[in-house]
Amino acid sequence: MNEKKAAILGEIPRLRRYARSLLRDRDSADDLVQDCLERALVRLDNWQTGESPRRWLFTIMHHLFIDQMRKVNRRGEAQMLPLEAGEAQAAPAEQVESIASREIIDALQAISPDRRAALVMVAIEGFSYAEAANILGVPAGTLMSRIARGREELRSLLDDSARRRSIRVVEK
Amino acid sequence: MTRRDFSERDIHMALDGELPGEERMAYDSWLETNPEMKARSVRYIADRAALRAAFAGVMDEPVPARLRQALLGEATVKAAAWRSRWWLSAAAAVVLVAGGLAGYVAGIDGVGRGDGADDQLAEQAIAAHVIYAAEKRHAVEVPASDKDHLQTWLSNRVGLKLVAPDLAAEGFQLVGGRLLPAGHGKAAMLLYEDAKGERISLFVTAESADKAKGTYMAEKDGPEAVYWLDKGYGCAVVGSLPRERLAAVAKSAYGQLLAGLAS
Repeated sequence: MNEKKAAILGEIPRLRRYARSLLRDRDSADDLVQDCLERALVRLDNWQTGESPRRWLFTIMHHLFIDQMRKVNRRGEAQMLPLEAGEAQAAPAEQVESIASREIIDALQAISPDRRAALVMVAIEGFSYAEAANILGVPAGTLMSRIARGREELRSLLDDSARRRSIRVVEK
Repeated sequence: MTRRDFSERDIHMALDGELPGEERMAYDSWLETNPEMKARSVRYIADRAALRAAFAGVMDEPVPARLRQALLGEATVKAAAWRSRWWLSAAAAVVLVAGGLAGYVAGIDGVGRGDGADDQLAEQAIAAHVIYAAEKRHAVEVPASDKDHLQTWLSNRVGLKLVAPDLAAEGFQLVGGRLLPAGHGKAAMLLYEDAKGERISLFVTAESADKAKGTYMAEKDGPEAVYWLDKGYGCAVVGSLPRERLAAVAKSAYGQLLAGLAS
């Protein structure tokens, strides 16, 4: 065990959180993290000791995520799950989610992967615009418009699900 | 200084900490005079809080064993763990019988069980040992010279009355200790060293619902853990010693830890 591996080990909880926000399913998210760790090991020499492994690892994981999304698209599967389908997915048994959490997680899954990644990167993971743009490999202007559109889309999806919830209550 | 016009774009920048500090006051007063923009800002702040809350729990989840294995190159874990567990149940039984730890009647039910709390404790203990025992200067957070503080601090954090065992009879001196995450809780790690520089560590956690005991090896030729789990606490002794010696050290450490818990 060397210092590099020890430092990477410490980043796993954050990588898992980011993966979980990109891919709702827990096992798929951990698969993504595992792919990321395996690729990182092969490229260990590219990373300088002393430098935080966080940006390096997030960059690797983002490339893997984008590759995966492209494959999914080529296979012709729906890239955006409609909210109803998202709601129908049972949450993993061990995962206790409040209604509010489930709604926002579903809504996040329904926005485009590019916007989702940009929004999560700054809003949850706390990267600066410059860092996030660097990790995602896009100009700062593109990043900003993805964040703005992502937030707006998220807001309107949450409003929709709140409306449906109130309709269900009325119907009872 | 020219006062620029603000727009919706600035709401995002302010929220994400990207608005230059000197523009903040002007932005705030702009927001106060634009109820529509103000409402939007409030809403985005609330959505962000909900997003963070929805994923906060992931940070507290224990790192899945398969991810740690992917990183630490323990691909052969399963087979190796099975072999060593097989051996170890016998060794643990000897340890317990020899130690005469009456009242400890869990039996040898650690043998042959799948991935359980015992594996997890042993794996966490081994991972911690592999990382920190290799550190020359930063192996511990609190050195043995501050032993009283070390014991009080770790006891408070872990939630157990922790007394660092005296392993001088086995040739080991306390180096110090540190606090670590373990599952949903915390663990205390105590590091010991012998005259030749060989290190062993004790890993103690207050989290356990199972009763089990055994030995575990995550990697062929890697360090081995001798562990005990009981209701309310779990303990593992990890090292790369010959088995008889590790068993003797573990027996002594466990006896003293138990006595400490009860004191």
